[in-house]
Amino acid sequence: MKPLHYLTLILLILALVIALVPQNTTRPYKLTAAQLLSEIRTGTQFISPDEVADKIIQKDPSIQLIDVRNPREFDMFSLPGAINVPLQDILSEGNTDILNQGTRMNIFYSNGSTEANEAWLLTRQLGYQNNYVLQGGLNFWLETILNPTKPGSVISNDEIARYDFRKAASMALGGGSVSAIAPASAGSASAPKPGVVPVKKKKKASGGC
Amino acid sequence: MGPLAVNDIISSNTNFFLAFVIGIGFGFVLEQSGFSSSRKLAGLFYGYDMVVLKVFFTGGVTAMLGLLFFSLFGWVDLNMVYVNPTFLTSAIVGGLVMGVGFIMGGFCPGTSFCGAAIGKLDAMVFIVGLFIGVYFFAFGYPMFETMYKSANMGSPKISTMLDISDGVFALILVIVALGMFYVSEWVEKKFPQKEY
Repeated sequence: MKPLHYLTLILLILALVIALVPQNTTRPYKLTAAQLLSEIRTGTQFISPDEVADKIIQKDPSIQLIDVRNPREFDMFSLPGAINVPLQDILSEGNTDILNQGTRMNIFYSNGSTEANEAWLLTRQLGYQNNYVLQGGLNFWLETILNPTKPGSVISNDEIARYDFRKAASMALGGGSVSAIAPASAGSASAPKPGVVPVKKKKKASGGC
Repeated sequence: MGPLAVNDIISSNTNFFLAFVIGIGFGFVLEQSGFSSSRKLAGLFYGYDMVVLKVFFTGGVTAMLGLLFFSLFGWVDLNMVYVNPTFLTSAIVGGLVMGVGFIMGGFCPGTSFCGAAIGKLDAMVFIVGLFIGVYFFAFGYPMFETMYKSANMGSPKISTMLDISDGVFALILVIVALGMFYVSEWVEKKFPQKEY
């Protein structure tokens, strides 16, 4: 037999098999309850305010801040460059393009982190990626970025550096002037600090001839 | 090294290094298979050497069957595989430019570097032309932008358009490819290469 005949035979057999078996649809990208629980427990969805502040100051085009509070609250105060997608509209058709995409890093925020987390849970369960939550919400943002408190007397270099960064960020992002606006709905006392795991950002695959 | 680099399993530097090694391997195989010869490449258009067609169809069919079987075994989630979006107008115009360049120059971009690596002058001239084209497009981009971005179809699949399963489409494509192989065997006999 000529090589071409071998090739014909092998390809035809393989193609016949693949044409006759039903398509494998058992692994659509959705999370089981257990997987979701493990993601929540490790807190991979959280991004620290420092990281977000840094990205805003650097005018990083890869982030999209999404305010999930209602439009009235959004008009009163929002982070630079944020768009408003109220939580109740999160499933509406018009928002799919914003929430389900592979290029930008969406960061949800609300006053605390509850509503933002709810938005993240919903989108995550739909199988969307690249959606994250601002750790501690706007209240924690005000506390850490806009009105940073000076660390105590015995401090490490890291803490000094972080404080310096926050002071600088506060100036760049108009700190002090907005402290009164933060609505107290989510308990502005001191937002709990969820554990933050460094976020791995997906890079886009590329290739060519 | 797609999944490794995207998921940060290897650093981008390691990725570049692996790309470098694979690139050298790819170039070596291309050269050894005779793809650095513009006569062999242009043979496709004159009918005396259909090896380019055969190689690309074999490659395509193999990758297609491989991915479908991987998906069947649950090794690959096909929804996660990145597919370049189709911009119909620019695909057609670009295809024509590429085809005309191919038949005039006797190389495609990859094989021209392959040819230049073994010191072929025509390949080097081709690369100069290639860069002129790149600069022309880059600096003239505002001129082409509307055409470049028109008719965006997303990432369509022919099987979805024809409303058949991926497997059936694969079978059809394999039959077409095999038919093509037998036809090219016949064409090669019919139009033997002239000796110069």
